[in-house]
Amino acid sequence: MVFLLRRLAFYVAALFVAITLNFFIPRLMPGDPSARIIASFQGRLNEAQVEAIRKSYGLTGSLWEQYVTYLGSVARLDFGISTVQFPEPTASLLFYGATWTLVLVGIAIFFAFIIGSMMGIHAAWNRGRFFDSVFTPINVMLNAFTPAVVALLLFYAFSLQLKWFPLGRAHDPSLMPGFDLQFIGSVLYHATLPVLSIFLVSFGGWHLGMRNVMINLLNEDFVILARAKGLSDRRVRYRYVARNAILPQITSLALSVGFLLGGALVTEQVFNYPGLGKFTFTAIQSRDFSFIQGQLLLLTMSVLVANLLSDIANVILDPRLRKG
Amino acid sequence: MSSDRAMIEVRNLTVDYIGENSVARAVNGIDFDIREGEAFGLAGESGCGKSTVAFALARLTRLPGLVSGGQVRLNGEDVLNFDKARLKAYRWNEVSFVFQSAMNALNPVIPVSEQIMDVIQTHKPELGQQGARERAVELFELVGIPPRRLDDFPHQFSGGMRQRICIAIALALNPKLIIMDEPTTALDVVVQRDIIEQIVELKSRLGFSVLFITHDLGLMIEFCDRIGVMYSGELVEVAPAESILTNPQHPYTRALGNSFPPLTGPRVRLEGIAGTPPDLRALPQGCRFAPRCPHAMDQCRVQPPELRYYPQHRSEAACHLLN
Repeated sequence: MVFLLRRLAFYVAALFVAITLNFFIPRLMPGDPSARIIASFQGRLNEAQVEAIRKSYGLTGSLWEQYVTYLGSVARLDFGISTVQFPEPTASLLFYGATWTLVLVGIAIFFAFIIGSMMGIHAAWNRGRFFDSVFTPINVMLNAFTPAVVALLLFYAFSLQLKWFPLGRAHDPSLMPGFDLQFIGSVLYHATLPVLSIFLVSFGGWHLGMRNVMINLLNEDFVILARAKGLSDRRVRYRYVARNAILPQITSLALSVGFLLGGALVTEQVFNYPGLGKFTFTAIQSRDFSFIQGQLLLLTMSVLVANLLSDIANVILDPRLRKG
Repeated sequence: MSSDRAMIEVRNLTVDYIGENSVARAVNGIDFDIREGEAFGLAGESGCGKSTVAFALARLTRLPGLVSGGQVRLNGEDVLNFDKARLKAYRWNEVSFVFQSAMNALNPVIPVSEQIMDVIQTHKPELGQQGARERAVELFELVGIPPRRLDDFPHQFSGGMRQRICIAIALALNPKLIIMDEPTTALDVVVQRDIIEQIVELKSRLGFSVLFITHDLGLMIEFCDRIGVMYSGELVEVAPAESILTNPQHPYTRALGNSFPPLTGPRVRLEGIAGTPPDLRALPQGCRFAPRCPHAMDQCRVQPPELRYYPQHRSEAACHLLN
């Protein structure tokens, strides 16, 4: 418990630093975000109108006043107004995109982690034999592919040529979003290829990670003892070896969340999927600062949350962390 | 206490470690017996093959290790040719293991109760969950740990307690033989003493045999009935424990004895053994100890000596000097 509270304090501090940096970075850059909007009116705005726009971006008053206002709006999850989809609030765009990205990345991580780890367990157990010598090199190779290549290949083959899968969107636009079978089916159908492309480039990492930790553990005394006890292979493999090998995997899982969310950008772009990455891509092109800021904050938060979850999981799975 | 009937007979046991393009013969055709209720010790320097022998006996040899010849018989049965079912029964029912480092011998993430109960439930499923638990409580009491601590995790115990738990696990199925590979090396001397006394007490009560491996010759002489001294994968001498120091036959045994300080008596200069053990991939032609032996003769350098019984000393030794 003390361990978790200490970690929690650390994450709160980290989040605060991230929020603060997020405030200062755009203000240190030349030209403030409102300049683009104001410029687009080509001088047809009067003083009061310019002031109003600047105000809507929280750019009036002293730096301290701006900071306090900013903290208040972050607390209300108000990230300002999008410049691209003006006057849409950034927050609603962020959450819309984040939901779809979560669908993609969530399903992909889930399957990549489970299937990759299972393959790693199997490969380590049968080290040097058929399964290991075939799948380990293949998975290493797949892991070395960039998401862009895999996404483009899948898109070309299955969407453009074979037309088995749609060319874009997260679901059939004629369906009303809701928790019915038809809608969920459509979401899964649209998510198949993007999920597959994230899955293909990431499960090899879990395979390798699990295999390496397992192989190191196989020489531990407690594993040799478990075998000497005449326990079933299954029990030794899962309860003694994999049970220990999963701990570092969970930590890497948390670390990979930020990387995967960032990496989804390319996949979403290729499959024209309305996720956070796709919006971010557009936002970067059109300098939509409020969106980029919000997205950065959201990424930071999700990485922190993922780490907190992995800490909790570790405390549950590793009795050595429970005390002190 | 110990009868003369051999329970375990090891004959010409040979174990190799297979390298990329070399084979190291870690154990080269050794013979010895372990009698019922006996504590048999294997002594020797690091890397002489003691643990390799123990692993082969328990059928735990794994690649790159390979038992390439010889026999191990348990009451006449051929252990090295057991089928899967017989092997499963052999493990722990007949031979159990206590390792050197008790910290590493227990799975750190599951409670010790589970680590005792799983072996009971695997081999005696008829006892059920409840019966296995009762047996675990019994075993904890046997080694002097309060049974209320059964569900604690390994890191919550001290080093000595962990080793007691390992002994409890080893006793779970009343085995005929317990192999103890450096069981007290990682412990401080006081705890070491307690553990050894406990093993002695349990052994006289339960009547199991012990294959005891340690590099602490003093401890071994005290605990064991007979001792086999290994050098470079071969047994050079097998003798009653008391005569290892007082009446050593093989020059290596003598040298080994001289490298330990006596606890009583005048201070003596320790001699040690000059040189290093031979590389197992490039062995001398004759006696393996000849290059380090102060008494080596011409014959020693060409012809390997054989282990022979010398009734006048009640010991077996492999040395040309004795003929």
